[in-house]
Amino acid sequence: MIELNQVSKSYNKGKVKAVDDLNLVVNPGEIFGFLGPNGAGKTTTIKMIVGLLKPDAGTIAVNGLDTQRDSLKCKAITTYVPDFPAVYERLTGLEYLNFIGDVYGVPKKERLERMEKWLEVLELTQAVTNPIQSYSHGMKQKIVLTAALLPAPEVMVLDEPLVGLDPRASHHLKEMMREHCDQGKTLFFSTHIMEVAEKLCDRIGIINKGKLIACGSMEELKKIDQTEQSLEGIFLELTEE
Amino acid sequence: MKKLLALVRVGLKANFGLAVIHHRLFKVKKDRWLVPVIPLAVVGLAPTIYGYLKLIESFYGFLKPIGQQQAILTFAILAGQFLVLLFGLYYVISAFYFSKDLEMLIPLPLKPVQVMLSKFIIILVNEYLTIMAIVLPAFVYYGILAKEGLLYWIKALAVYLLLPVLPLTIVSILVVGMMRVVNVSRKKDALIIVGSILLIAAALGFQFLLGRTAGGKTDYDAMANFFASSDSLLKQIGAKFPPSIWATKALAGGLTGPAFWNLFVFIGVSLVFFCGILVMAEKLFYRGLIGIGEVSGRRKVLSQKEMSRRVASGRRPVKAILTREWRIMNRTPIFLLNGVLTVVLVPLIFVLMAKMGSGRGDSAFILNLMTSAKPVFVILAAAGLMTVSGSLNGTSCSTFSREGSQFWISKVIPVSPREQVIAKFLHSYIIAGLGLVTSTIVLVAVLHIKVAVLAAALTLALAATFALTVVGMIIDLARPLLDWTNPQKAIKQNLNVLISTVADIGLLGALGFLCSFLAKAGIPWDMLLVGLFMVLSLLSFGSFQFLLKFAVKRYRQIEV
Repeated sequence: MIELNQVSKSYNKGKVKAVDDLNLVVNPGEIFGFLGPNGAGKTTTIKMIVGLLKPDAGTIAVNGLDTQRDSLKCKAITTYVPDFPAVYERLTGLEYLNFIGDVYGVPKKERLERMEKWLEVLELTQAVTNPIQSYSHGMKQKIVLTAALLPAPEVMVLDEPLVGLDPRASHHLKEMMREHCDQGKTLFFSTHIMEVAEKLCDRIGIINKGKLIACGSMEELKKIDQTEQSLEGIFLELTEE
Repeated sequence: MKKLLALVRVGLKANFGLAVIHHRLFKVKKDRWLVPVIPLAVVGLAPTIYGYLKLIESFYGFLKPIGQQQAILTFAILAGQFLVLLFGLYYVISAFYFSKDLEMLIPLPLKPVQVMLSKFIIILVNEYLTIMAIVLPAFVYYGILAKEGLLYWIKALAVYLLLPVLPLTIVSILVVGMMRVVNVSRKKDALIIVGSILLIAAALGFQFLLGRTAGGKTDYDAMANFFASSDSLLKQIGAKFPPSIWATKALAGGLTGPAFWNLFVFIGVSLVFFCGILVMAEKLFYRGLIGIGEVSGRRKVLSQKEMSRRVASGRRPVKAILTREWRIMNRTPIFLLNGVLTVVLVPLIFVLMAKMGSGRGDSAFILNLMTSAKPVFVILAAAGLMTVSGSLNGTSCSTFSREGSQFWISKVIPVSPREQVIAKFLHSYIIAGLGLVTSTIVLVAVLHIKVAVLAAALTLALAATFALTVVGMIIDLARPLLDWTNPQKAIKQNLNVLISTVADIGLLGALGFLCSFLAKAGIPWDMLLVGLFMVLSLLSFGSFQFLLKFAVKRYRQIEV
């Protein structure tokens, strides 16, 4: 479960409000899709949830734990996939996964099982002993995803996770996201792909200029504007200048 | 030409981070604290500069009667060119081949020569700054002492501007040639490291040869005899490395024909070499560059047994982070060359200086000095060498900066800043320890230091290195440079390394000053040594505690 309570974040000494008084609850067992135009505040919100940025105001809780006060406990149950896979290029894929396993304290048996499973699913088995430097963009994205899945976290936060993935990996990722939430765990992700959000998400939030302008299930969003029946139409309507 | 100028302009802005400095100083006002620190650093360096000027003055006074005073210029030029040769190697490899902007530049409608030349010019500007402290005081003070006229100052400016060109073109030609060969291999990184070590060895060997040629007599009388002989110092050096003598004669020759002839030759040869790199750039640069960042891996499926063996059974976080630091440092050629290699090089340079100092190929002079001096001074000198060897590398003061855009991982993993910092400290201290080992080997093998003296020196150096490692880490944690595109920026061109070096020198200088003050006040040296160790230990403990607390605060504040 993720709870954002009156969260704000601004840059340039308050001149640019990236996130403005955001209130949001993502329930356990829920896939929550976070949509918004470029620069709307999606990545800033995500970075605040995982502790990369400190909110100027408000509180964020993960499974009831305050991300500022109990930051280590929150980190231990959360994993994150950034929008750009900047990882240790000089390590091999296996070394990176071992590092993640070590810092999240994943026991060897589970580590081996999960690694074999996700490497196989994401078709990285052959490349795992090579330096990450030799990977394509998509492969780097896959190794970051595998690392995020390795600790079997309670909460996953993914920033545009489908970018750079091939159709097969994309399909497997969507299955994994469903599987994750069917276990009662939470998943928060941002995307620009409306079809994916429409089909996959239990609830969707739309952010524009730092403010949450709509939030709910697809059925609830359709009620906002009776004339628009697709998510794309609703999104365009709501975010129009 | 327009394109080249545009490239240079953008390159210089990126190199010195002018836009970032402006933003941090005037917009977000993060680095305002640096404003008073910079003049303080200059004031801190003032005694060193003053000492250097005094040295020049005393040499001038001694050399003037025998008409050899221009040797001061020769030495400054030689030292400057040697520095360019040594630092240029790091700069050229990283700017020509490991700068991330190259991926953006290659597809643009630019000629290879324009890209390479812009990089060359930016390195040249860096080199002017590198040699400034050595060459400028000599040029300026010589001019003042010799009461030179306007022409001297014009020629001095020309020589200064041309001085790094020749060594830098030599390095560029060697590096571009090396990379062309290396790029065909799968073991590029290893070959780059081996090649760089060979080039550094060649540069040191060259310096060694010069030193032997110069004779290196150490007392004034012996030097006077040497200078007074028909075979003068200048001619001897000139025979091995003519550009330094051309530059000297051009500078010191006044309005005479030979002076202008030498200036003409100096400019001409620099230009010929410069044209050489232009030709090379067009023919070899892109061939060595394209694909250098690509690493092809063998596709291999691990058997279940092999996979099980290679999946770690769970290291503690500190060990996991230490392993990560170690691997990344050792596998990134630029980090390895600047960090680990430096701790090996500093003692090696000391050995070469010792060998040069003797002239006959042994270290009799220094040995004599070391054995005739009081043991306490030998302990302090040995501890000083060890500390310098262990501390004056960029490892600790770039430990956070080196993470760059990957710092997000350190922010999201469930490992406390305290543990992360402990792992980073251990990594930096191990590398410092390597410096202590190499300098100990030098002290034992070359200077035959006694075991008891060595043990005392090592104890002091371990404490001093501990404190300086922590100081370096605090400085880097206060202002980590995480947005670099070229790994060189994280370690060699990182202002934190300079701030840390000044802090180290200041701290050691202050302790030295305090010791000599107390010794003069009648406190016995034995007691002072014990006191020094206790001060260093307290400093280590206190600064380490501060670092741990500071890390908790900074890990929250640093936003990526």
